Amino acid sequence: MIEYLDIYKAFDVPVLSGVSLTVETGETLSVVGPSGTGKSVLLKTTLGLIIPDRGDVLIDGRSVYGSDRNALHEIRRQVGYVFQYAALFDSMNVFENVSQGLPDDVLRQLPKRDILRRVCDSLDAVNLDPAAILGKLPAELSGGMRKRVGLARAIVGEPKILLYDEPVTGLDPVNTAAVAHLITEIAERMGVTSIVVTHDIEGALEISDRVGLLDHGRLRFVGTPDEFKHSDDPVVHSFADRHAAAAAALKIMEEP
Amino acid sequence: MFAAATFLLVHPLRTFGRTALSVARHAGELGLLVWRIGGATLSGRVSLRSVTDQIYEMGVLSFPLVIVTAVLSGVVTSQQGGYQFTGSIPLYVLGSVVASSVVLELGPVMTAFVIIGRVGARITAEIGTMQVSEQIDALLSVGRDPVSVLAAPRLLAGILVMPLLVGIANTVGLFAGLVAARFTVGLGGESFLYGARLFWHSWDLFYSLMKATVFGFVIPLISTDMGFLTWGGAEGVGRATTASVVFMIISILVLDALFPPLFLN
Repeated sequence: MIEYLDIYKAFDVPVLSGVSLTVETGETLSVVGPSGTGKSVLLKTTLGLIIPDRGDVLIDGRSVYGSDRNALHEIRRQVGYVFQYAALFDSMNVFENVSQGLPDDVLRQLPKRDILRRVCDSLDAVNLDPAAILGKLPAELSGGMRKRVGLARAIVGEPKILLYDEPVTGLDPVNTAAVAHLITEIAERMGVTSIVVTHDIEGALEISDRVGLLDHGRLRFVGTPDEFKHSDDPVVHSFADRHAAAAAALKIMEEP
Repeated sequence: MFAAATFLLVHPLRTFGRTALSVARHAGELGLLVWRIGGATLSGRVSLRSVTDQIYEMGVLSFPLVIVTAVLSGVVTSQQGGYQFTGSIPLYVLGSVVASSVVLELGPVMTAFVIIGRVGARITAEIGTMQVSEQIDALLSVGRDPVSVLAAPRLLAGILVMPLLVGIANTVGLFAGLVAARFTVGLGGESFLYGARLFWHSWDLFYSLMKATVFGFVIPLISTDMGFLTWGGAEGVGRATTASVVFMIISILVLDALFPPLFLN
C-alpha cells in the first residue's frame, strides 16, 4: 500500500498543495490532469527523486522521508519506475540497461548465465525479442522499443510496485494500445500495485481500478472509471470534454 | 532623483549579496559532494573497474595532447629565454629558467588546462545530459547511488592520473627545451643541464606533483558537481558545460596563485 500524506511542493510557485492519497495493494490507479499540474512531481516524490517541502510517503507503512540511506535503498528495491522517455543509460546496451534493474547483491551473486536468463525473461514479458536487441544501444531503438526496454528494466527485479510516468507519450496509436495492454497484463500476472501518470484519459479509464484528477496541485477527484465518467464535478467534466475534443481533432489530423 | 540614488546604492549591494550567496551555496555543495565521495570510497561502494575505465579515459587518451602541449611549452620558454639572455646573461642560466618554468608552472598548469578541455568539459556534458534525460533519476530508482557510480570514480582517477601526466609533461617539456636551446641559441646539452642543476631544489618536483594532485582533485570535482546541477534540456547542458569550464579555469588559476606564498617561501 502506498500512502501520500499531505504532500506540498513548490518550484517558485506551488506545484502540489497538500495531496493526500492512498493506493491499495494490487490496485492500478491512474493520475490524470492537464500538463504542469504536478503529476510527474507527485510520482517522483514516491521514491524521493523529488523531495517534497512538506508531507511524507508511506510504502507498506514505511516512511520514505523518515528512512535512512539503507532503508530508502530497501524501499526503492521494491519499486520499479518507468520514465517518460525511458531514461535508458546511453552508454549501455539493452542487456546492461535491463540488468541494472536487478539489485546489487543479485548482480554480484548470480552467474552471468542466470542474469542473462532473467533479462531475457523480462524482455519476453514486454514482447521484445531478446536475441534481436540484447546488444543494441538505446540510440538504435525506436521510441516504442525504448519504452518497453524501460519497462523490462523496471520489472526485472520483480518489484511489488510499478510507477509509470506518461508511459504512452510520444507513441503511435498501435504502440499506445500495446503499452496499455502490457500495463494491465503485468499488473495481473505479477500482482503489483501500479500508479500510472498519464494525460491519456481513455487509456486510463480502460486500465485502472481508480482514476484521480490532479488540478492546480490538488487532487480534485478520485474514484472508479465509472464514477469519473458520471461525475457531477464541472472540473472533471471540463477536463474530460477538452480531452475528448483534442483527441477528436488529432484523429482528424491523422486521417489521410 | 531619490529613486535613482537608491537604485545606484542598492543595486550593487544586491548584486554583491546574490553573488556571495551563490558562491557560498556552491562551496557548500562542493563540500557535501566531497563528503559523499569520501563516504562512498571508504565504504567500498566504488567499482574498481569504473576507476580504471576513468584512468584510461583521463590518462591514456589525454596522453598525446599532454605531450604536444609539454613540447610546445618547453620549446617556447627556451626560445624566448634564449632571445632575452643572448649577449647579457650566461646562456647556461637558460637551463635553470626552463626547468623552473616547466616544473613549477607550465607542466602542472598547461596539463590542467588540457584536462579541463578534454575531460572536465566532457564530464559535465555527460552527467548533465544524464541529469536532463532522467538517467540520474533512473540510477536512483534502481537503487544505485550516482555519487558512487559517477562522481567517485572520476575524482579518484583524477587524483591518480594528474601527477603521472604532470611528471611526464615536466620531463618532456624539459627535454624539448634542451633541444630547442641547442638549435636556437647553440647551447649544448651539458651546459643546459648544468644550468638546470645549478638552481634546482628537490622540493620543486614535490611542489609540482602536489599542484598536480590538487588540480586532479578540483577538475573532476567541479565538473561532476556542475553536471549534477544541470537543468533545462540541451540548452541547459550547453550552459552548464560553459559555466563549468570557466569555473574550472578560474579555480586552477586562483589555486596556482595561492601555491607560491603557501609552499615556496
